[in-house]
Amino acid sequence: MWDQIVSLFSIGLFQNTIRNATPVILAALGGLFTEHAGIMNIGMEGMILTGAFVAVVFSFTFASAPIGVLCAILIGILIGLFFALFVVKLKSDEFIIGMTLNTFAAGVTVYLLRSVFHQTGSWVSKDIKGLPAIDIPIIKDIPVIGDIFSGYSIFVYISWLLVIAVWVFLYRTPYGFWMRASGEHPKALETAGIDPVKMKVLASVLCGIFCGMAGAHLSLGYLNCFTEGMSASRGFIAFACVVFGMANPPKVFGAAILFGFLQALGIRLQSVGIPSDLTEAVPYLATVLMLVYITVMGANKKRNRAKKAMAVEAEAAEQ
Amino acid sequence: MKLLNKIDKRYVLTLIICIFVALLCGALIMLVTGFNPIKAYQTIITGALGRPRLIGNTLEKFMTLCLLGLATAIGAKGGLFNVGGEGQLFVGALISTMVGLQLSSLPAPLVILIAFICAIVVGGFYAWIPAMLKVKLNVSEVITTIMLNTVAIKVTTYLVNGPWCSDLVSVSKGTDYLPDSLRLTKLISASNLSTSFIVGAVFTFLIWYFMKMTTVGLQLKLTGENARFAKFSGLKSDKIMVGSMVASGAICGFVGMTLVYGYNGQMVDTISTEFYFDGMLVAMIMNYNPVGIIIMSGFFAILNTGATMIDMTMGISTQIYDIIFSILIFLMAANKGFVEWFAARKMKKQARAIAKEKAGKESI
Repeated sequence: MWDQIVSLFSIGLFQNTIRNATPVILAALGGLFTEHAGIMNIGMEGMILTGAFVAVVFSFTFASAPIGVLCAILIGILIGLFFALFVVKLKSDEFIIGMTLNTFAAGVTVYLLRSVFHQTGSWVSKDIKGLPAIDIPIIKDIPVIGDIFSGYSIFVYISWLLVIAVWVFLYRTPYGFWMRASGEHPKALETAGIDPVKMKVLASVLCGIFCGMAGAHLSLGYLNCFTEGMSASRGFIAFACVVFGMANPPKVFGAAILFGFLQALGIRLQSVGIPSDLTEAVPYLATVLMLVYITVMGANKKRNRAKKAMAVEAEAAEQ
Repeated sequence: MKLLNKIDKRYVLTLIICIFVALLCGALIMLVTGFNPIKAYQTIITGALGRPRLIGNTLEKFMTLCLLGLATAIGAKGGLFNVGGEGQLFVGALISTMVGLQLSSLPAPLVILIAFICAIVVGGFYAWIPAMLKVKLNVSEVITTIMLNTVAIKVTTYLVNGPWCSDLVSVSKGTDYLPDSLRLTKLISASNLSTSFIVGAVFTFLIWYFMKMTTVGLQLKLTGENARFAKFSGLKSDKIMVGSMVASGAICGFVGMTLVYGYNGQMVDTISTEFYFDGMLVAMIMNYNPVGIIIMSGFFAILNTGATMIDMTMGISTQIYDIIFSILIFLMAANKGFVEWFAARKMKKQARAIAKEKAGKESI
């Protein structure tokens, strides 16, 4: 029994954890912007899927992975603008738009795949150029750590750097401050002379870019193909990560790694006879519990603060 | 006639324009990708209504969409937004299938009745969890229901392909098939339409009746519009909110049962491919108006069934349905914003004109 458990924790498990987590990390970091700007973005699923599809199409046509990635990012910007046009400018229900964006993306990608490229199910071709694996110079020579932390496509490393970058952006730059204000207190931001609408548009465009990258990594990162419904609810997992990580970049990163680990573990556990469907359900259930925890804690904090304030007031009245 | 007067004419007009634009966009997409859109739309109509069998399929689809849309509407009218219908549908379908398979020795009508009760109870219970979390702890029901959807689907996938998977070689995936005696009678032979349509129609009527004609409906409406006000007016708003959500889940559970007992015959992990979200979006763009939901469900049912036909005969993938559907939802969701935008521009123009006039007078 013990041997079996130990054998589960191979290097492959950690490699798979990072592979599974990367698109989720990227998308969740994108979701952080919209979350802070006060938009509930459940359209990330569609954004990732479109990014993955566009990356493959352009990588195929130009036989170049960088062009594929660039186009995925461009389409991300377009979808971000599209999302912002509806949600921010036209004040449509963000939930409807997000949900419909997912349906639309799933429909358009499969339609084009089948009716234009005449492929059903998945599209594999030699001409779809993938992103090369990159080794980190010194780290790659360290025995175990080198295997775990080196040898991935560029987006894996980018996603790690972006965690820090997003944190700095949100908490250490005026733009981040304004973006958070546009979600928390748009009126106050307006009084300060900054247009909250612009910040919200910026947030959704950034989210589009990040999801585009997530999609490009998904399709060109290691498999070099496009499969119908390839995003496989990673957008929803990313959304769950944002909730689970309380919209804080390092915590969201941790949540994504945790979910990626559960997914990787699920695949490994299949060899022992435990089905992966059950382990895949765990992140969603955990998010529900986490949400309950956050809400209850938040309410308690508020109550305590109110109690304290009342005590101070009572003291002042006595004096 | 009275009913017609009540319908907002402007809303109907925008709806018709939006449908037209969405169909036009669909035609453009087909044209660009090298298909004949006129022939495609003709095929959609004949493919959905051309033969009795096809009409049966369309009606079945219509009832599914309509009931799921109404389920959303009930939850929303009570103030809670049920996004978890897909999960409730899955648990309802799963439990009713298992009841049918386990009790197949009992007389068929009794088994169907038990399965029906189990489906609505379990579906309702699965909606009760997020409702209680919302009412007692104020946890956002939108997020919890989204998450619980996937939990239900994943667990069902595991069960129907794992412990409850059929041992028969002829069954490639999913549970055993229900015995023929338990399958609902077909209203039109060889179609998907079964007697569940009648039950669904009764449900639809009851929902409309409750929402529009009874005090329960009024209480629901008051709670949904302003829960605190309703509470202060002496309504048990918490109970009403939870009740509406449970009713919503129960309907979804029932729909799940009809999918298995009506035509699929066994439980598979693809029993519903996001049917609930289609119904939910229809309900949302129709502002949860029961009559509107019924009409729009009909439109989408025709489009959906017809899309299978153009896939078979013309090679246009069925996803054209999703594309037209989502374009229409985009347009409808943005319609209020468009109107406001134009109104604001018009006002600006007028203000500018007045300012110019004044400036002109002063200069004279």
